Order: sequence, then structure tokens, then C-alpha cells
Amino acid sequence: MQDRPTASELLTTIADLLEGDVLAATKGGLQHNVRVAGNLCRILEREARLGGAHDAREIELLADVLGEPAGGRSARDLSAALAARLEAGHDAALEKRAFPALLEIVRGKLAIAKPGHDDYDFSGEQLS
Amino acid sequence: MSVVEQTAKGLGEFLSQKWGKRVAIENAELASAGARRRNVLFDAVAGSERTPLVATIVPFAAMQLLPIEVEASHLELAEAAGMPAPHLHAVCSDASFVGGPFFVTTRIAGETIPRQVLRLVERTPGLGPRLARQCGAALAKLHAADASRAHALIARPNGDPLDAALANTRRSLDELLQPSPAFTLCFNWLKRNRPPAPRRIAVVHGDFRNGNLIIGADGLRAALDWEVCHLGDPMEDLGWIAQRMWRFRNDSLEIGGFGTRDDLRTGYQEAGGEGDEARFRWWKAQGTLRWGLGLAGQAKQHLDGSVPSIVLAASGRRVAELEYDTLMLLRRGFE
Repeated sequence: MQDRPTASELLTTIADLLEGDVLAATKGGLQHNVRVAGNLCRILEREARLGGAHDAREIELLADVLGEPAGGRSARDLSAALAARLEAGHDAALEKRAFPALLEIVRGKLAIAKPGHDDYDFSGEQLS
Repeated sequence: MSVVEQTAKGLGEFLSQKWGKRVAIENAELASAGARRRNVLFDAVAGSERTPLVATIVPFAAMQLLPIEVEASHLELAEAAGMPAPHLHAVCSDASFVGGPFFVTTRIAGETIPRQVLRLVERTPGLGPRLARQCGAALAKLHAADASRAHALIARPNGDPLDAALANTRRSLDELLQPSPAFTLCFNWLKRNRPPAPRRIAVVHGDFRNGNLIIGADGLRAALDWEVCHLGDPMEDLGWIAQRMWRFRNDSLEIGGFGTRDDLRTGYQEAGGEGDEARFRWWKAQGTLRWGLGLAGQAKQHLDGSVPSIVLAASGRRVAELEYDTLMLLRRGFE
């Protein structure tokens, strides 16, 4: 166990510095980059808190869609396996099973990368 | 000497030669400095005559995909077709004047920054729907232009524009650094729901959206950024301006955060454009997927060292936004 502050606490501290004093002391293109860096720290802070649970849930959902035990495979490997199955030919049942799982996984990523992006539900502009 | 001062000096030399009289450059100001384009606003003063202009400069020759004359020719073609576009005054492929090839256009007053556009719309009654109709009309005029009169080097699809888009999407999927089953699912939908090819190939702006438009209280004044103008399916432009990412949080108004699909369609049809609902929907989904794959590609450019940039790195963490948008657009097809 590392000593306090935790990764999450340190990332908040760095983000506060970037979005406060550093932003005020910069301008133009550098200021834009500082704003981006501050936002990335906020993302990493949420990842430090929520990333572990998200990854575990992603693995569980992907294994379930594939109908196989995860068997110690990473989310990346399981994603590759699912993408390959989806590409192998039209399997309506697989797509139907995959859709809600993929939506839940994406919502989990957004809780870290862009909270609130999934508030909008696209009602009225459905394409299919 | 600052970059702007150097640019002003080069522009003065160029315009003096071009116009055959002494031209002084005043009020030069850097308006935007992207990786691909630098825009410098200035006044050209010749005797008692003052002309407000903009120079669009390609900063590094390596970033240039096509000769600058090609992009400049699109502006002339658009203006001749009756689409609001900045008037072209001069093109110069000689990089020695301002450090890169450039063209000079009329400076048009108005808002271009999306949030400021949306603020203007909010405080101007009726502007939002009017603007969406004007966008429709502007695109109809461009799409009616004779494609055979476009520059010989204009980008064109290899065969049917929908097949070409599918092939490009396939390539981008294969180049992903990590698999995205969400994008694969959406790609399957695009393949299965591919509508018939358009009857005619049109000149397509390629990036017509809130952020590339000059807008005043009277509405649309000009379309900017003709860099990716190409030949293709006119419905591609309508699907692109309907993307969520150009609404800047004003999600309930599908067109740029200021108008509805009906407003856009009305403007398009009243100006003689022929809409096609199936192809519009297809290009809208394709555009969302393409942008998601584009963001992943930007992160890759940072990671492989070809364009180290924190902004491109951050694009990688925006991919999930587009996975969400594509899944939600196509939700009904999978439920």
C-alpha cells in the first residue's frame, strides 16, 4: 500500500494546479493544452476510483455474450474475440445479445471519460 | 519580428506584385492556428482604398494533401453556384512569401465559434430555424453545381461513394489499436442497410457544420474550410451537419444545435435539392462511426510518435462518446 495521498487525491491536486495557477499564467495554444491536461487528470482521477470495477464488469459482460468463461482473459482479448465473432457473418442472436452488453460497457467508460455524455438518449433521431 | 509581422510583410510584397501597385498591410491578426491551416486577418491598403481580407496559409508543405489551387478552386465553384462562400482574391503556391502556400479571400464579419453562434441564436428570435433552412439551401446550391466543372484534382470516390466509404471504414477498423466491438456492430449495420447508390455524383463540401460557418444576426453568411471538398453523394453533407458533436451540448436541436431536420430539409428542397431519407440516415450513421474511428486514429498518431500532441492523446479518451452515439442511433435495429 502506498502512503497517502492516494493516486486519486494526487490527480485531483494536479488538476487543481493546472486549472488554477497554470491556466492563469498561460495563453493561446499552451493554455488550451493546459486545459486538456487538466481534464485528462480529472479522467485519470475517476479511472483510479472506478477503473477496477469497470474492467471486472466488462470482462463479465463480454464472457457472457461470448457464452464462454473468461478464463483469465483480459477485456482487450475478450473484445477482440467478440469483434471477430461479429465479423464472421450475420448472427442476429449474437448481435441482439451483444448490444445491451456493449451499451453497458460504453456507459461504464463514459462514467470515467465523460460523465453526462449518456444523458441524451437520441429519442426522435433513431436511424434503424 | 513576430510570425504575424513576417506574414504581413510577405502578404504586402505578394499583393503589391499581384495588383501592380504599392499595398500596405494593416491590422494583421492571427485568427486561428491549427495544425493544418493558419488564418491571418488583415487590411490591404492601396492608396485610399482599404480591403478587409483573410489569408489562409498551409503552415508546412508536408501537411498539404493537394495543391493549394485545388482548394481555392472549390471556393470559386461554390460562389458561382450561389452558395455563400468567401470570394477568392488570389492564390499563391510560392512558399517564400509567408512560409507556405496560401490563398487570400474577402473577410466576412460574423460568428464562427460554435458556442458564440449558439448564443447569438439564443438572443435572436427566429434565427435558429432560419439558419437551418439557409444551410439546407446553401447545400442544395452547391450540390446542383456541375461536378464536371470541379478541379481535375478534386478528391473523388473510387467507384460508388457508399462502397468507397465502407472500404475506408473497414480500413480504419483494421487499424484500431484496440478492438471496438461496438464499432464492429455498427459497421455490420452499415453493410446490411446500404441504400442504392445516388443517381448523380455531386460536389460535396465534406465538413459543412457549426464551427465552419460564418453566421450573423441575418443568418448564414459563408461556409469555410473547403479542404476536404470532394465528389460524392450529396446526402453525405446533410448527414454530417446532423451529427451530435456539432450541437455543442444543445442536443435536442439536431442541426448544429440551432435547427431541426425539418428546417434543413425544407431549405434543401425549396432550393431545388432532392433529399433521400434512406441515404441521409446511412450517411448520418457512417459519419458518427467515421468520427469515432478518426478520434482513435488521432490517438494513434500521438502514440506512434508521428504527431506528438496532448490534444491528440486526449482524443483517444473521446472514442467512447462516439461508441455511445453510434450504438444509440442504431439502437432500434438491435433491440
